[in-house]
Amino acid sequence: MTDKRRLSLGLDRYSGLWIWAALIVVFGVLRPDTFLTSTTLHSVAAQQAIVAILALGLVIPLATGVFDLSIGANVGFAAVFVTLLQSDHGLGMWSAIALTVLVSALIGAINGFVVVVLKVDSFIATLGSSSIVIATQTIVTKLQQPVPPPDAGWRSLTQTEFFGFQIIVVYMLALGLLLWWVLEYTPFGRYVYATGGNREAARLSGVRVDKLIFLSLVTSAVIGSIAGILYASRTAPSLTFGNTLLLPAFAAAFLGTTQLKPGKFNVWGTIIAIYALATGIKGLQLINNQRWLDDMFNGVALIGAVALAGARLRAAQHQRRIKAVEVDGGGSDADTGVLAGTHR
Amino acid sequence: MSQASAQPARRAAAREAGRPPRLAVEGIVKKFSGTRVLDDVSFEILPGEVHALLGHNGSGKSTLIKCLANYYIPDGGRITVDGEGLSFAGPGDSARLGLRFVHQDLGLVDSCSVLDSMFLGRSFPTRFGVISWSTARESARLSLSRVGLQHLDLDSPIEELTPSQKTGVAIARALNTDASTEDAAAVLVLDEPTATLPAAEVENLLLIVDQVAAAGTAVLYVTHRLDEVFQVADRLTVLRDGVNVATRRVDEMTKDELIVTMVGYSIEKAERTDAVRERLPELLRVEGVRAGAVRDATFTVHEGEILGLAGLTGSGREEALGLIFGAHRRERGKVLLRGVELPAGDPASSIGHGVAYLPAERKTHGSILTLTAADNCSVTDVRRFFKRGFLRRSLEEEEVAAWFQRLQVKPLGAQGLAFGALSGGNQQKVLFAKWLRCKPSVLLFDEPTQGVDVGAQRELHELMREVAADGTGAVVSSSDLAELEAICDRVLVFRNGEVVAELTGDQIQEHEIAQWCLGRDVRAPEHVSHISDELTKDAS
Repeated sequence: MTDKRRLSLGLDRYSGLWIWAALIVVFGVLRPDTFLTSTTLHSVAAQQAIVAILALGLVIPLATGVFDLSIGANVGFAAVFVTLLQSDHGLGMWSAIALTVLVSALIGAINGFVVVVLKVDSFIATLGSSSIVIATQTIVTKLQQPVPPPDAGWRSLTQTEFFGFQIIVVYMLALGLLLWWVLEYTPFGRYVYATGGNREAARLSGVRVDKLIFLSLVTSAVIGSIAGILYASRTAPSLTFGNTLLLPAFAAAFLGTTQLKPGKFNVWGTIIAIYALATGIKGLQLINNQRWLDDMFNGVALIGAVALAGARLRAAQHQRRIKAVEVDGGGSDADTGVLAGTHR
Repeated sequence: MSQASAQPARRAAAREAGRPPRLAVEGIVKKFSGTRVLDDVSFEILPGEVHALLGHNGSGKSTLIKCLANYYIPDGGRITVDGEGLSFAGPGDSARLGLRFVHQDLGLVDSCSVLDSMFLGRSFPTRFGVISWSTARESARLSLSRVGLQHLDLDSPIEELTPSQKTGVAIARALNTDASTEDAAAVLVLDEPTATLPAAEVENLLLIVDQVAAAGTAVLYVTHRLDEVFQVADRLTVLRDGVNVATRRVDEMTKDELIVTMVGYSIEKAERTDAVRERLPELLRVEGVRAGAVRDATFTVHEGEILGLAGLTGSGREEALGLIFGAHRRERGKVLLRGVELPAGDPASSIGHGVAYLPAERKTHGSILTLTAADNCSVTDVRRFFKRGFLRRSLEEEEVAAWFQRLQVKPLGAQGLAFGALSGGNQQKVLFAKWLRCKPSVLLFDEPTQGVDVGAQRELHELMREVAADGTGAVVSSSDLAELEAICDRVLVFRNGEVVAELTGDQIQEHEIAQWCLGRDVRAPEHVSHISDELTKDAS
């Protein structure tokens, strides 16, 4: 491999970091007074932490090869439920949190049951359970927005400062560290990627894929629940916000596959994606405060980045094919598409 | 398999003496970063000729085909079809001159009907802007008749066809890409069409190839299976290291000569332990297992022996190993390993008991193409490298690298490459390493060398013998009877879901096994169409 190619690969994998840096420079030059401030730094970091946690929650099921579309509904439900338990039922903060996480884990277990035992496709299964969770939320709240508990401890759960950052940023990074360890440095992580790559081959290699899929859906439900609890503590619960976080979280997880470990759902790639996007949006808002910027930027970046990553991956495969011919005379599976394309 | 064949003779009528070649390859050179992958390769194919292209992985076959398809532009030489030169302006040019390709991956959609498949990739005939179904049917029927499949139900989905019928449909479609011209294509390139076909189906496919050539099309037939060459081809060209080392008439060569030509040195069959050895203790006992096509499998496997399973498609032979391993639930019966019952439907537990299972379908069941070769190799027991809270990557890589070196997996440093980027032979070596690393008591190998070149096949055979010599029991299920003959101590023949014969010692010979597969009363076949009739009867 030549030095030139290695350099371009580096640019590929770390393109998110480069873009992020470029955005900081550009907006730093255009709006030095408002953009390059610690206030901006801290507010972007804290605002995006919840979405980041949610996106991290999606990494494990996506890497296992299943979707969890119910995570948005789960966030909303957890936020409402943890608040109600405290304000209406007089539970203490920690017992309310424990009970909420438990209920969410149960929802995840139901998802897992439907996917693994009833063998419903995860996309459909979690789309359905998402609707059931929203209905349950309505039953519990009777469409009344619950009042946050007046407890100071409840707010300080997320609003304590840590070197100027809201502590929620620390939670997010800690969760990232934990998941990174699980995915990269435990057998469980290897099984996750194996199952996502080829479920039947993984099963025949001794991976207990059903158990793994079940667990991955419980994990995402629990992490979604934590995101909801933190949201309720930080900004008070809302009846509708959960599902609005679903798209940005999925977008970040998919964008993450273009970073660091191309083609694989991964933790730090996901976090880079979220913050690079958020920096861009923040900068644009400071220049031209339009409400549609957020959604527009997210959508364009998602499609653009994933399309670009796909094109690069194909180019890399093409290189490999030629290389395979050089080294080995072909006959590799990477070849199969080539002729198939020519006789059509 | 029969080497005597009447096919080339039947086609002789289609070939008139002195007619110009349909395809002429003249002095093709192709270089990659200075290395000559193809070095002055020349040969020609006459109308109605089936020309086999042979060579190891790495010999330049794939590169040559890609030159024909205009995917690569040669650095020198000429390719002409019916006298007209390829301009290398793009894939369209090679199609325009009448070159057609059918790859191992047929490019058919399982759920589409035969009729729809025939028009995939080109337009349906229309009348007033609406699809004219009657014209479409007529045209599809005509195309299919070129491969002798005019009786296919046009409305049945592709997935209901036999493998050879699927290939036939792909060939028919390739031959007639333009509905308006009724001329046969000038040259048909078949790239390993039989690599994944069961033996019985191969015969049917060869009939199709025969029929295509009889219509005057020149067929370039790429394969690893040497028996087919003698059955279907008129001439052959052997590439070695990018050089054309032989273009000869098939009837002037023996199989042994051909192998020597291909590899450049003489390969002997792996040494057979014909002397009946003292039987070592029983290892595996299969009792009355039933599920799917398997009606009653009962047999034992002993330590240090390689037991072969033979049988036609549908005989139950293909499903037997998966059932023993416990890949799926069994309707009845049990499997005992050293007296301990193996559960059904729980691969993880079977592996824990010391059973290894290499499935026949490498891409869909055997491997995870998105992971690296090393990760594929260690997935079964990656837990061993988890120490003090972390997976020890360096330990893992060291161990995998040692295995790759022992099995000579190429290229060097293959550990870090995506599994899918390796050649078929090397992929199979990685999967062998994956299971041998686990030090299993019993190895279940389904089609262990399918789609693997001659050299790698030989290495894998030796490896299996080595492992058995250490006391491991191995069961090999294979549609390649020569493979069974080469490595097995004992062969069981499946027919109609049951074991009908046990062959040992001198009885383990290709023709003997073949007769038992077909039914004992069938004599050594003289004629391919005869054998294929028997085969279809037996399969149905």
